[in-house]
Amino acid sequence: MKNKIILFWVIVIIALICLGIIFNKPTSLGLDLVGGSRLTLEAQTSATIKKITPEIMDSLQYAIENRVNALGVGETTVQKIGDKRLMIEIPNITDTSKAKEFLGETAELEFKRPNGVGENGELIWESTGLTGKDLKKALVGSSPGNGEWVVSIEFNQEGAKKFAKLTRELVGQQMAIFFNGELKSAPRVNEEITGGHAQITGGDGGFEYQEVKNMVDLLNAGALPVGAEIIEENSVGPTLGADSIQKSKIAGAIGLALVMIFMIFYYKAPGVISCIALIIYSIIVFAIFKIIPVTLTLAGIAGFILSIGMAVDANILIFERTKEELRAGRSLFTAINSGFERAFTSIFDSNMTTIITCAILYALGTGVVKGFALTLAIGVLVSMFSAITVTKNFMHLVFGTGELKHPALFGLKQEEIQDAYSAVETKKEKAKFGVLD
Amino acid sequence: MANPNLIKSSYLIDVVKHRWHYLTISIVMLIPCILAMLYLMFTQPNHSPVKLGIDFTGGTILQYGIENSVTPEKISTIRFELEKNGISNPIIQNISNQSSEGGIKNIISIKTSFIGEKNNKQINKITAVLAQNTTAPQLISTTSVGPTLGKELLKNSLAAMLLAFLGIVIYISFRFQADYAIIALAALFHDAVFVVGVFAILGILYGVQVDSLFITAILTVVGFSVHDTIVVFDRIRENNRFLAKKYSSGEIINASVNQTLARSVNTSITTLLTLLALYFFGGSTTKDFVLAMILGIIAGTYSSIFFASVLLAWDKEIKAKKANAQSN
Repeated sequence: MKNKIILFWVIVIIALICLGIIFNKPTSLGLDLVGGSRLTLEAQTSATIKKITPEIMDSLQYAIENRVNALGVGETTVQKIGDKRLMIEIPNITDTSKAKEFLGETAELEFKRPNGVGENGELIWESTGLTGKDLKKALVGSSPGNGEWVVSIEFNQEGAKKFAKLTRELVGQQMAIFFNGELKSAPRVNEEITGGHAQITGGDGGFEYQEVKNMVDLLNAGALPVGAEIIEENSVGPTLGADSIQKSKIAGAIGLALVMIFMIFYYKAPGVISCIALIIYSIIVFAIFKIIPVTLTLAGIAGFILSIGMAVDANILIFERTKEELRAGRSLFTAINSGFERAFTSIFDSNMTTIITCAILYALGTGVVKGFALTLAIGVLVSMFSAITVTKNFMHLVFGTGELKHPALFGLKQEEIQDAYSAVETKKEKAKFGVLD
Repeated sequence: MANPNLIKSSYLIDVVKHRWHYLTISIVMLIPCILAMLYLMFTQPNHSPVKLGIDFTGGTILQYGIENSVTPEKISTIRFELEKNGISNPIIQNISNQSSEGGIKNIISIKTSFIGEKNNKQINKITAVLAQNTTAPQLISTTSVGPTLGKELLKNSLAAMLLAFLGIVIYISFRFQADYAIIALAALFHDAVFVVGVFAILGILYGVQVDSLFITAILTVVGFSVHDTIVVFDRIRENNRFLAKKYSSGEIINASVNQTLARSVNTSITTLLTLLALYFFGGSTTKDFVLAMILGIIAGTYSSIFFASVLLAWDKEIKAKKANAQSN
């Protein structure tokens, strides 16, 4: 009995610690609940880059992070998925059109020189080795001559040297500036330009302000090492998210209440105990969600609510077995103990299959499915602990003294049980036998 | 000392005597499901037994929150105008959304082929068409899946399903015996076919499509079904250990099924209570997912009591006859 009281206090302390964690740590909610956008980018191979290596992915991730930050929309995350994909999560925005235009652009700036004339009399351009990599920064500027918007660029040390050399060689000729493979302008070089500053004008048509702004943002964020395409998008508005949270809370509360009513109605006193165990179970699971932390999504919440069903199952298995043992003429303490022992293999084997399914879902699934598998697995693992430790301890404390033993407490009638019921055996060794010995 | 009450002469559920009744119910339930799946496999260009959603085929779904619900005529007008704007075959649905005060009252969902970054402006066109035809539409969610990603997701999901089946079978063969594992697998297919079949029927009747959450639902159902079947098998294993000499396997299986009956039914009830709460009060996005699980859990409970045990009793009976024939 002494050990059981110690265990009881351990359970109480664990529950209190978990409650403390729940109230002090913020819940990490998925984008489908708070609102926001998730984009998946896939790196595209090209004629020059035939294979996407981990190094390319690293620099792609870096460049995309810079760009996402340039959007200035708060706490964004960029993470690698598999060999060639990046997942970008942007909270609080649902209109992703700006983000989409911005993310997929390679932002390749190239300075080219003329090399002969093509069939139709147009100039053929040749790479010079001077690219966006040689930039220090870019700014939005306006041309002092006609007030047109221009991209004003500053080269780094090496870039400045290359640029000076190139302009020296091209005095009297045209030089071309390509952005993303598109010829932006081809000014005539009048003299060698030293000092590392230059301006890109919009050629004959001039630039729109927005075009200049985008180019500047992209140049500052850095070029992508490879092209990237958006292959998946998921955006949820904050109103829909809030609606989903509200509904999940209501559904969870109603589900839990219905289960508790059923358990008390059907199993009487043990049912009440299982309800308390269920509350402790929920507290522990929630605290674990916050410790890991598990990002809660709608599917994740569904997984948790389903795990409540499975947690109750363990209790049902035990109580059914206890009732059976009582009907078979066991004493109360024996019946409770063998109820736990006999039910354990069922609980263990059936939960193992759920864990196997969850592990496979987690390993192979995508975001939504992963969230579901993780919450369900945590739920099932905690339910084994709560059934075996919490429910058992409470049962022992309530019925272990042998004072509370009216058969109606178990939903049984007097004639259903036999004489042994009145015997009080509180020793575990004596309680080892069950129905089938 | 074996308990005198343990093996009774008659039971509420008799898996030997009423074998054919129980199997007939299963067959009657499964035939329309299988027919619907076959129908879709032959009529759909991708030969899938259910209608696949954009998760697997690629496409874009835009959802707009609106104040008032729209009439079917209005929906045709919207469809006509969208097609005029170069958006081919849009599927438009009006979803009413019971919600807390100040929330979204109605949702209009528009499904099109994949809108990527290259044809980004299409979204603006759709929003413009809706703004003309409804009061204050507000884009509340966008889901877009590229066609190649869709195929990959489908492949991965099927692989996950097969692996999960395999894992479960290996686990049961290891903890029980190979014939238990095969029968558990049969029960599991019974439930999976039922759920997939009902969604095939819903697909034919109402155009319901399945997404990656559906695969999750099937896997959960499978887990639950095996969970149920194992509880019965565990009892059979336990009873066998003590009673195999005195009683036939049919009697033992009957006793085991009836001993675990209350538990099977009560567990299903409690799980169904939580699922029904989710179905009626939870978010609209998880509705089909929850429905799939409700169907699966009902089928799973039935199959563990009336299908797996019937097959096991039958299997043991045949084996006993063979053993008798050999010893004679």
